[in-house]
Amino acid sequence: MDAYANFINGTITLFSDPMGILIFFGGVVGGMLFGAIPGVSMLTLAAILLPFTAHLSAEHGIMLFSVIYCTGVYGGAITAILFNIPGAPENAPTAFDGYAMTKNGEAGRAVGAAVMCSAIGGTVAAVIMMLATAPIANWAISAFGPPEIFALVFFGLAVAATVGAKTLWKGWLSILVGLLIAVVGMDPVGGIERYDFSMPYLLAGIHFIPTILGFFAVSEIFIQAEKKATGSFIAPKISVDFPSVAELIAHKVAVIRSIVIGFFCGVLPGIGATLAAFMGYNEAVRWSKDKSQFGKGKLEGVISSETANNAATGAAMIPLLALGLPGGALTAMMVGVFQMHDMEPGPLVFLNSPDLVWVVFAAMFFANLSILLVGYLETKTIINLLRIPFQFLAPLILLLATVGAYAVRGLVIDVLVMFIAGAAGFFLRRSGYSLAGIVLGLILGKIGEQTFAQAMQMLHFEWLGFLDRPIASALIAAAFLTILSSIYSAFFKKHAQ
Amino acid sequence: MGSNKFLMTAGSMLAATIFSASSAYAACATDGLPGTMAKPGGFPERSLAMIVPYGPAGGSGQVAQAMAQAVTELTGVSINRDHKPGGSGTVGMTAYLAMPTDGYTVLEHIDDASSAHALDSGRPNPAEDLIPLVISQITFSQIYIRTNEDRFTDWDSFVNWVKAQDGKATIANVSKEGSMERINMKYLTDATGMKIQQISFDKGAPRYGALAGGQVDALFEQPGDVRKFLDSGTFRPILTLLHSRPGVFADVPSLKDAGFDFEPLLRFRGFYVHKDAPADRVEWLQWAFQKGFCEPSYQAFNEKKFMNLIESYRDTAGAKELITGTIAQYRQVYKELGLEVK
Amino acid sequence: MGKLRPVHFFEAAFWLLLSSFLYVESFDFDRSIEIYKFGATAWPRTLILLMAFAALGQLLFQYYAGDSPTGSLGAATDDGAQEAARKAGHSSVSWYASTFLLLAIPFLYMRAPDLVGLMTTLDKQGVHLVKGVTAPILLVAYLVLMRGNHVGAILALPIFFAALLEDMGFYAMAPLFIIGVTLLMGERRLQWIALTIALIMGALLLTFVSLLYVGLPTGNLSPFYEFSNQLIILLQ
Repeated sequence: MDAYANFINGTITLFSDPMGILIFFGGVVGGMLFGAIPGVSMLTLAAILLPFTAHLSAEHGIMLFSVIYCTGVYGGAITAILFNIPGAPENAPTAFDGYAMTKNGEAGRAVGAAVMCSAIGGTVAAVIMMLATAPIANWAISAFGPPEIFALVFFGLAVAATVGAKTLWKGWLSILVGLLIAVVGMDPVGGIERYDFSMPYLLAGIHFIPTILGFFAVSEIFIQAEKKATGSFIAPKISVDFPSVAELIAHKVAVIRSIVIGFFCGVLPGIGATLAAFMGYNEAVRWSKDKSQFGKGKLEGVISSETANNAATGAAMIPLLALGLPGGALTAMMVGVFQMHDMEPGPLVFLNSPDLVWVVFAAMFFANLSILLVGYLETKTIINLLRIPFQFLAPLILLLATVGAYAVRGLVIDVLVMFIAGAAGFFLRRSGYSLAGIVLGLILGKIGEQTFAQAMQMLHFEWLGFLDRPIASALIAAAFLTILSSIYSAFFKKHAQ
Repeated sequence: MGSNKFLMTAGSMLAATIFSASSAYAACATDGLPGTMAKPGGFPERSLAMIVPYGPAGGSGQVAQAMAQAVTELTGVSINRDHKPGGSGTVGMTAYLAMPTDGYTVLEHIDDASSAHALDSGRPNPAEDLIPLVISQITFSQIYIRTNEDRFTDWDSFVNWVKAQDGKATIANVSKEGSMERINMKYLTDATGMKIQQISFDKGAPRYGALAGGQVDALFEQPGDVRKFLDSGTFRPILTLLHSRPGVFADVPSLKDAGFDFEPLLRFRGFYVHKDAPADRVEWLQWAFQKGFCEPSYQAFNEKKFMNLIESYRDTAGAKELITGTIAQYRQVYKELGLEVK
Repeated sequence: MGKLRPVHFFEAAFWLLLSSFLYVESFDFDRSIEIYKFGATAWPRTLILLMAFAALGQLLFQYYAGDSPTGSLGAATDDGAQEAARKAGHSSVSWYASTFLLLAIPFLYMRAPDLVGLMTTLDKQGVHLVKGVTAPILLVAYLVLMRGNHVGAILALPIFFAALLEDMGFYAMAPLFIIGVTLLMGERRLQWIALTIALIMGALLLTFVSLLYVGLPTGNLSPFYEFSNQLIILLQ
């Protein structure tokens, strides 16, 4: 297939249809707005729009969601930077340095870097996606079974434990808390009720969206409120001085590294974009000569995680379109859009609707490019949210979060979970534990237990069966190496200051 | 190409088969009902709400969408769908029962509600605590293999191959204890005496991916859910869990052909209202939903989902009969399995 | 005692107690699954044991190194939360006790029918009655406790709001919630509070209800249910 000709055709189809253009720009602006308004996220918008896509053509519906995905991942960085509220789990590492930069009065530089890096990462990934989807799909469908996915989850957790908490122990405890929260509800094999304490609503399990909103949005409000109550509240400094192009060129190694990491992590179903952002950040620190500056407002931290998570958006389309395997919550909703139009994402989509695939590819390419322009303009306005006095901003964010948490599953218990997570986050953040680690544990816990059970059933409960599968054993070995080396450095290396 | 052959079979057999409800496309089940009905006391004066205890994308979400659309086309009353997924339908049911019983909120539910009541009579009985408005989808299960499979080609060779593997053969299935899927598989393994490891996949897409990608040897599923794989020639059914052969699957052996006499459990989806809702409103809802079943848009939807291969329609009395019979059958199996039936 | 301080023992005790509690509770679902010999408990119990192990590992580490960080990345140490807590003096036992009481209020509301249900059986009407009676009582308790504990009141208010949502609905409760939050944040100018309610409710309802037809909780209790539905008819 001639990818270039297909891309041109897709572009022409996309921009020759007035409705298509309207939906494209609606998605670009909507994704960025919902991503960038604290309390709601692109997932909120997607959950709300999902039932309405039935009224759109399949092409328009899928295109809308892919555009929201690209711009929403970028938009989530804005709130991570300005308010320490990651719009989605994949923006969590952006907050480590981005929010620190806001406190240093460098919000503009951080947001500017996020704009440019999201656009670069996303656009490059979109190009690779167009070239690579079909071949990768053919390989992955047979190479990646439950044992491999479990091994991958294990590896992802081992990496995540070293990120975000004050000590390795607190990192692991945070992740274990997340994994245990994921146990609540019905077990993935027999549907047996666990830790429901006779409350039927808890059988639905605890969803990661209200948890994220609670940990990051609500607890931040509580901490600001405490500061206000005690007179130590300082309104954030506002600046709109963007980083220079030269500054970005100086970070070209970080950008390229994050594109590569982001793309390869993003291909993996279930955990792609989140793992991509964490790995991108992790590698940035590992390669750095001056590790101690990370977490205190280093531009490279923002660059690494934002490039990686937007690079993962392109990559996440590969398992989705080629295997029908969603890479996260938003791509899972895209499966829903397909099904509402009596289509199932999978190898057949390439055969039956090549036009649709290429319109989507073209739309994602241009959505990532448009982040540069629209993102720049939008940022100049969004940043002014910081000027609203806090006592008026607080109820707005809390109520937006209420709608956001409720809209996902229509369950009031999700609102309750969110506010409880907010209070818990308020206390946990004083203690050096990692909220991002808990969230990652919660997301990966369900996939981890499910694929572990499937792997064990497939391997007839023989542990050594993993060794017969080279990819699985390599990933598990990598996970153990990560764990051992982190324990070694925790005990025997000089502590970073 | 396999896909073309399959579609041709499907098309040519549709008209011929006696099982096909769409052969009665011209004469639909509720054609006898009046075309319009006066709103009792102005009901409904605002849009209705429909609780769907599953996500928007799955089988329930789709049937809820199709039925809501049909009822709206028929009556002009819009229906907002409120998805409350979780706990195999328990969460949506709990939320529904806590709501005011003014008839403005209806419930979509599947046979899971019946099996849940069979296991624990503290759970609501859909035939008694609720009033079924209509059951609009009834379907059966099949066993699928990859079309390019060469280790076995049909049901008999499959069973022999599985037996030769000594318990190492695998089949992807929904694995909730006591579920329709697990009970039907139990019937099958008991009847054949084969040992096969079931692999738990609670979501559809990964379950189908596991068969397509060669991670498992076979798949237990209903035809409407894997239709795209059938149309594309990726999957092939080797056994129909019915005692007769529906026309589209005329060359697939039925239970009778394979020599089994157990009564398979069916999957069914329907719409309910609370038993305390005012009687005149219930009557109007029954009319709207039963008549909605025969709206062309709904019939077209059911046909696309292979829901026309056996009679999918039950009115309130028929639904109660189906549910009560299903509960009794589940309860008996659970007792045989030694499960704790409350 | 190395570099251990009482807070380290408290931390370890918390994790070990949590592990024990979860382990004991896991016997509730300790049932075998025919097709999966590890059953429903193997996974959570492994996690619980790892949690206990990590808590002990942490204690050992703290014995040698005290509170120094291990060079983990992007640590949450300097996000200002600890500093704010220290400045506010919100770490005394009495502060924690009154915060705990405030946080317990919403759960008392949700569990009230169960508590009454221990003495007598309740039908749907009875449950509504119990909730209708406990809500104002708990509100008074909240108002009394909040006078001495501003931050605790801010933590508890949203949970109380969420606990009331299913029964009383978003439409009726959200304006009250806005009043509560703005008052707790120190705003006293009534016209500003009124303006905030109008702007926030207007924006939320127009966007989500009129434009996007999102079904927000209407409340199951009368008259909140009727109020919500009338509002929805107006908006849609």
